[in-house]
Amino acid sequence: MIYEFEGKTEREAIELAAAQLGLETDEFDVEILESLSGGLFKKGKVKIRVHTNFDSKIPEGSTEREALVAGATVQGEENIRQERKLLSEEERIPMDEFEEKIVAWTKAVVDTMGYPSKVSVLFREDKKLGLKVDTDNTSMIIGKKGKNIDALQLLANVYAGKLGREDVKVILDSENYRIRREESLVRIAYESAEQVRRTGRSILLEPMNPFERRIVHTTLNDIVDIETKSEGEGLYKQVRVMFRGRR
Amino acid sequence: MERDLVEYIVKSLVDEPEAVDIKVIEGEKSTILELKVAEADIGKVIGKNGRIAKAIRTILSASANAQSKRVILEILD
Repeated sequence: MIYEFEGKTEREAIELAAAQLGLETDEFDVEILESLSGGLFKKGKVKIRVHTNFDSKIPEGSTEREALVAGATVQGEENIRQERKLLSEEERIPMDEFEEKIVAWTKAVVDTMGYPSKVSVLFREDKKLGLKVDTDNTSMIIGKKGKNIDALQLLANVYAGKLGREDVKVILDSENYRIRREESLVRIAYESAEQVRRTGRSILLEPMNPFERRIVHTTLNDIVDIETKSEGEGLYKQVRVMFRGRR
Repeated sequence: MERDLVEYIVKSLVDEPEAVDIKVIEGEKSTILELKVAEADIGKVIGKNGRIAKAIRTILSASANAQSKRVILEILD
């Protein structure tokens, strides 16, 4: 069975396909039809075709299918809207003592750096606390390749441990940097896989931290003829993308 | 001020904040901060493979004042 989906990134389109078909992402094959990568200020657009052997929950028939595909984008937007609503509701939940301390700590550090800031809870998940840092100097807070916000996040986690909450992972974000970075890593992963397949030569990506490498590995994990491996020592290793050939 | 920044971060991470002492040495092109903490706390400000010290230095060099003058953090033991 073949379906088509569209999203701002490959990942988004694939996730949408999975949600619409009621399948796991490894239960279908994805073919990228069209990929317009977004620039700094414009949104990218990716069209994918999904091949599946499963009887999916989508009823057959071209008109219905088209309607569903058209509805897919609308529903995607609705999901985002729902998420946003959820967030603002979450913000209204009063912070507990631990959250107040972490928020105050982060604000104090960024303020003392010389950048007056506003820090608020972005999301709460099991064992995760996401904080949003707003300042007029976002680029200084994020730093080159997220260097500064990663350092800030590391110290915030050490402080959380000092408060006796080693079990919670604190995640700092500013102007959706983490989401944008994730999207661009998925794009880099797919682009290098494509190039490796075309040239038959492996590519060594730029040094990345463990979380960034994980995104690249998992993105390319399902692509049968491509293999990934981390090379180097220390925290910042490089991912090599290799051609494995048809099996 | 860089001194306040280091003081705030370090005091929040150590067990003996009252033992934290920072000496500022102003040079022409750079400022040197000499940090002293209780012996038992040295590991807490350096971290495994120097990760915490490195993070503090990164934040220090990202601060507004450090854009015009180099700031060096030395941890004394």
